[in-house]
Amino acid sequence: MNISKANFLEHLQLDHETLQIWIEEEWLIPIQTEAEFSFSELDVARAKLIRELKADLGVNDPGVGVILNLLDQMHGLRRALADVLRSHHARSANSPGAPAVEQEPDNT
Amino acid sequence: MKDPYEILGVTKAASPDEMRKAYLRLAKKLHPDLNPGNKRAEEQFKEVSGAYDLLSDPARRKRFDDGEIDASGTERQRERFYKDYASEPSADARYENSSGYSDFAEADDLFAELLRRQGREARRSKGADTHYHLSIDFLDSVNGATKRITLPDGGVLDVAIPSGIQQGQILRLRGKGVRSMGEGAAGDALVEISINPHAFFVRRGDDLHIELPITLTEAVLGAQIKAPTPAGPVILTIPKGSNTGSVLRLKGKGVPKRSGAGDEFITLKVMLPTEPNPELESFLSNWTPAKSDDPRRGMLS
Repeated sequence: MNISKANFLEHLQLDHETLQIWIEEEWLIPIQTEAEFSFSELDVARAKLIRELKADLGVNDPGVGVILNLLDQMHGLRRALADVLRSHHARSANSPGAPAVEQEPDNT
Repeated sequence: MKDPYEILGVTKAASPDEMRKAYLRLAKKLHPDLNPGNKRAEEQFKEVSGAYDLLSDPARRKRFDDGEIDASGTERQRERFYKDYASEPSADARYENSSGYSDFAEADDLFAELLRRQGREARRSKGADTHYHLSIDFLDSVNGATKRITLPDGGVLDVAIPSGIQQGQILRLRGKGVRSMGEGAAGDALVEISINPHAFFVRRGDDLHIELPITLTEAVLGAQIKAPTPAGPVILTIPKGSNTGSVLRLKGKGVPKRSGAGDEFITLKVMLPTEPNPELESFLSNWTPAKSDDPRRGMLS
């Protein structure tokens, strides 16, 4: 479920200028809908991570950018590897594809 | 239970500053978002955060040192980390970056072939299924109906409820789920049905059961009355001398099925007049029932 910019700022106790900088730095890339930004749970969790890196772990601004870039690469790699393993397993098991249909609507 | 001082690797005499440094050193190493996929790190991080929460609060630290509280329940409960969202199969890939393995894909080896195949499959793969829950009225479940679900994005979904649908049944609406990211078919919408109970109809299998109140006069003398069925009222003949508990069957008035239909069973319940009735009382005072007619015969020996 996506939330508005106002809700996002309130939920994270974040001010408008800080968010502006995070977006300019591309640490956050919210979904743009018409005139407004909208934020998903993924964005909220990412913003919490940014805040923790800065406030709790003492990472400075250039460091946050480096960490996020490496993290994004790592998640890309992890997904690619998971996909490769899955397709490899699917091929070796010769699995039949879609699961059985539970109930068909009776349109007669 | 582990000692929070031990978890942080500090002595009991550690100053708040030493404690913070110890915490930061461990948190940098163990933060779950910096160790995605490492369950052990995540557990340790929760322990460390919990221990630091306890000991960084001077009042709670003192109570712990005095033995008033123990370290139980200090493990920090954390909703979900960023990695948990980023690693969901359905997560959008806004932030993900594939530059970390583009060199593999250029090479001509097994891994590259698998990656290329994966790319083609992803384009062809079906969109995700969506799940909905729909509560319907009892009579709609028996007779069938068309219901409209309003989707979170403002769209609507028309669901044809087949007659005779059962509690918990799932309807699969082909192609009404999420559109494929590539050229594949759209996913399906899965609608789980729950049925609200009815005021007087009860379903057992394909039969319906109902308790029908009748007056004393109708019971004794017999009558033609209107009885409810899911398809509307029908005329029902009450035989003379019907009693509470007598069961009448309306054939084919139960749950419709492709091969015939269930029946409706009507259990009669004789009701006395709601207001005291002097005429009835005076009649009964002068009426002597047959000696042999004892409804409690056999219960009292």
